[in-house]
Amino acid sequence: MRSMARLLLGALLLVPAGVAGQTPEALPLLSTETSDVARVVGPPRSQPLSGMALDAKTYQVGALLRCPVCQGLSVSDSPAGMAQNMKGQVRDLLAAGFDQEQILAYFERSYGEFVRLQPPLRGVNWLVWFGPLLGLLAGAAIVIGVLRKRASTVALEPEPGSELPGPDTLPDDPELRPYLLRVRELAYGWPGGASPEKEKA
Amino acid sequence: MNRKVLLVGLLLVVPLLGLLLANLGRDPRRVDSPMIGKPAPPFSLKPVAGGETVSLDALRGKTVVLNFWATWCAPCFEEHGELQRAARSLGPEVRFFGVVYEDEEERVRTFLKQQGSAYPSLLDDGGKIAIAYGVYGVPETYFISPQGVITSKYAQPLDEATIRRAVREAQAGTAGGAS
Repeated sequence: MRSMARLLLGALLLVPAGVAGQTPEALPLLSTETSDVARVVGPPRSQPLSGMALDAKTYQVGALLRCPVCQGLSVSDSPAGMAQNMKGQVRDLLAAGFDQEQILAYFERSYGEFVRLQPPLRGVNWLVWFGPLLGLLAGAAIVIGVLRKRASTVALEPEPGSELPGPDTLPDDPELRPYLLRVRELAYGWPGGASPEKEKA
Repeated sequence: MNRKVLLVGLLLVVPLLGLLLANLGRDPRRVDSPMIGKPAPPFSLKPVAGGETVSLDALRGKTVVLNFWATWCAPCFEEHGELQRAARSLGPEVRFFGVVYEDEEERVRTFLKQQGSAYPSLLDDGGKIAIAYGVYGVPETYFISPQGVITSKYAQPLDEATIRRAVREAQAGTAGGAS
């Protein structure tokens, strides 16, 4: 397996940088499958991986790919045969030196953006990434607005259920008001009967 | 304020409801193939019965029908006869190939011996070609124009009339889309 990857790499190094877009006939040194990958995403841009680094990176890239025959499972997490095949291909491509973005782009060519579990930030995907955040902020703004309005309304009105008038409450009857203010002036020493709190406000 | 809240709520909810209604009843696994209208991925595969490797590049100039199938797939069995009839009647300018999907060679060999086959079935080791074509399951059939472009994909058992229509589209080089 490792020697196969080395052979592939050796062949790939002979490929000119402008390999993307070339016909398979122009890539005689590559295996059919790898030449297809190189034609789609260009020559390998990374170092070939092996051993534990290859295992770890295979799992990491597989976790970004959706298993096409499963419900919401990544290729790394699915036991389905197709997912295992895809994982095997990810491994082969990493061993041949293709980087993560190249591998994701290759699978996207065949399955569309659907295959990416994390859609890239472009076009309508901005809405997918930031829509929930915007919704949350809009909801928070609405809740804050409603609470503020309610708080200001409550401050002007007596506590619900409370039958005692507040210190600044005046009777509805305009004839009684001067008497009450006089009583407050005499009892509390408030000039004109108005509470000092109200004066400050 | 209540009117504003209602407006904001409607602006958020109505598009989501529209999206929900538009996709109601749609199979979530069914996604239009991005491969339609694109060059068919090259392949070089060995036939089940042995013999020379079949390469797509060598088929340039001919219309190619590529059927991904397996012996464990009941709908594949259902369409097997239709594909055989179409392959026999459409002549040498239309080349049919089966591509075995997640199956054992011995079982495929036995199946083909019992049922007969008018065209070769190819072994796709590791499912690389299925992945390159964006196969989700079986049966799936791709129609490739003589210029090597995928003109349509069917993810259902085909009848002879549908095969003939898709072949005509492929020969004309017109993309029929996915179904």
